[in-house]
Amino acid sequence: MIQMNMSRVLAISVATLLSQLTQAQEITGKFHGLVEITATNTSEDRSWLRQGWGVARFDADSDVFNVSRAALTGRMDFSSAWSAHAVAQYVPDPDHKLGFTEAYMHYQPLAQGYQFSSKIGGFYPRMSLENPAFGWSSPYTFNYSGLNAWLGEEVRTFGAEFELKRAARRFRSKHDVSVIGALFKGNDPAGTLLAWRGFVPHDRQSVFNERIAFARVKSLYTPQLRFQGQYVDPFSEVDGRFGYYIGAHWSYLKRHNLRVYWYDNNGDPSAVNYNTKQYAWDTKFWSLAWRSKVSAQTQFITQAMYGNTAMGPRRGVDNDFYSWYVMLSHTFNDYRISGRVEQSKVMDKDIWAFDPNASFTQGITLNVRKTLSETWQVGAEFQFIDYEAESRPMAYLPLDLNEQVWRVSAQYQF
Amino acid sequence: MKKILILLGFICFSSKALEVVVSDDQGNAIKGAAVWLTGAKWQATGEQKTKVYSMGQKDRAFVPHTLVVPSGTLVDFPNFDSILHHVYSFSKAKSFELKLYRDKPLAPVSFTQPGVVELGCNIHDWMLGYILVVNSGVYGVSDEQGKVQLALDSSQLGNAQLNVWHERYENLDSPESQLLTITHVSQVVNYQIQQTLLDKLEFLTDDTDEYE
Repeated sequence: MIQMNMSRVLAISVATLLSQLTQAQEITGKFHGLVEITATNTSEDRSWLRQGWGVARFDADSDVFNVSRAALTGRMDFSSAWSAHAVAQYVPDPDHKLGFTEAYMHYQPLAQGYQFSSKIGGFYPRMSLENPAFGWSSPYTFNYSGLNAWLGEEVRTFGAEFELKRAARRFRSKHDVSVIGALFKGNDPAGTLLAWRGFVPHDRQSVFNERIAFARVKSLYTPQLRFQGQYVDPFSEVDGRFGYYIGAHWSYLKRHNLRVYWYDNNGDPSAVNYNTKQYAWDTKFWSLAWRSKVSAQTQFITQAMYGNTAMGPRRGVDNDFYSWYVMLSHTFNDYRISGRVEQSKVMDKDIWAFDPNASFTQGITLNVRKTLSETWQVGAEFQFIDYEAESRPMAYLPLDLNEQVWRVSAQYQF
Repeated sequence: MKKILILLGFICFSSKALEVVVSDDQGNAIKGAAVWLTGAKWQATGEQKTKVYSMGQKDRAFVPHTLVVPSGTLVDFPNFDSILHHVYSFSKAKSFELKLYRDKPLAPVSFTQPGVVELGCNIHDWMLGYILVVNSGVYGVSDEQGKVQLALDSSQLGNAQLNVWHERYENLDSPESQLLTITHVSQVVNYQIQQTLLDKLEFLTDDTDEYE
């Protein structure tokens, strides 16, 4: 009897709620923007974005003072559960690029217990714990770690992601747990930059349909690699196959966060588009990210990635790679100080000696920023990059390249 | 001497309040307990019922965390953050949802049915807040020392029901209560919660938790 009453009460309350939810709802929307102005030293070595061998984003052809990024995010709510999201961005390098970095529909109905949600469109997989700020930027450093810089330039989901979450609060628990799965297309050439450039810490995110250049590596003039362009269209579809990733998030009282992902673009390495000169790369990797708030002021963040990428009918280019960083960040008053060390390596596994892909990147990044108001933030950053690539001696360049990048930036958010 | 005078002054000034001191079954002071009196003499005044109460969202948290309002009143939900909050409740006492932007405030929500309304945010799922809708005009929330001051006047002496609720109760829908005889307006009542409270859930969040 009591159970019947309970279920009746539940039915009535669900019905009441449903009737409220189905009432015609006003469509609301909101835009936010960010403009980042930078003063930086520029590198003697031409940036990869201008087909150069340098590993700093801004080279001698860049302005010492520039708008290093402008971004506009929009959110439109159509109903209780459905919203549309888009992030548009401008970057000056190499030639005033404007485009979308994300555009997707989000479905998240109100739930009392387990929370189901889904994204459909083009968006970032949520592997990183370094990029929670505006338009996937980092609140810690201006230049992202090499690991996340690579995700930002060559990895994007064009498809659907599904998440099932057991949110701690709703279960009066200390643990948040969620599982994530996604199916996507159009991320076939991911891995190209790792083979012919390697990991580089920077903050230049690619926009949809963008073509990214890299240095004129000698091996691309050989018959075996004549169908590969000296650029990458990272988000293009080559083999017609679906890729996927699966992941899990866990958090303890929001003090400790863990994210584990397995990504596989399921590329067919023998597939090539002769018009765009792009191969499908068979790229797969693990990503493991950990963040601990040591206190309300101090955070420790680390992330590691390990995987393999290959192209060509006989996997003529076949590379293993890893990348990791460790970061400490501390806030006091209106200041945030962050320091990061990182190391990345691409290991050439194939027998094509004419195409050396091995590279090794190490970096130290120190950043201090001050929040002046809700709209203004200023900061300074020093970055030391120690880079070596086996492809450099083939072009009569020294194996090693060291870069010291100074950067002062001001951000205005509205 | 001056200090004694100030102390005396304070006692005189605070003498028109019933002080309830809330502790757990171990005798530790309990902060955040909602306390209210029910009975004919402790009904909400017209002024209390026409006031619009406020449950804000600031730095991705409900402010205040626990709000007590007399039944039949309006509560608005101002968003002090620059981001969207999607506030909702599935509670029996009131189920509703609001998508709230700072510069687009929505009409206040009416709370008529007494009970506990548990608030969440569909975007920031660690956000949690409570609105206690009570049939009373004499209520408060305990401070760090577990103390609540309930303002009374001499016409409100007599037998009352003291109700105590805390978010760490196993069953949120059943407040504890006991009968109380109020003999003078500066009475101090110690209330020991009869059940064992659930573990504290102290989430540590900041703006770096935004990207979920």
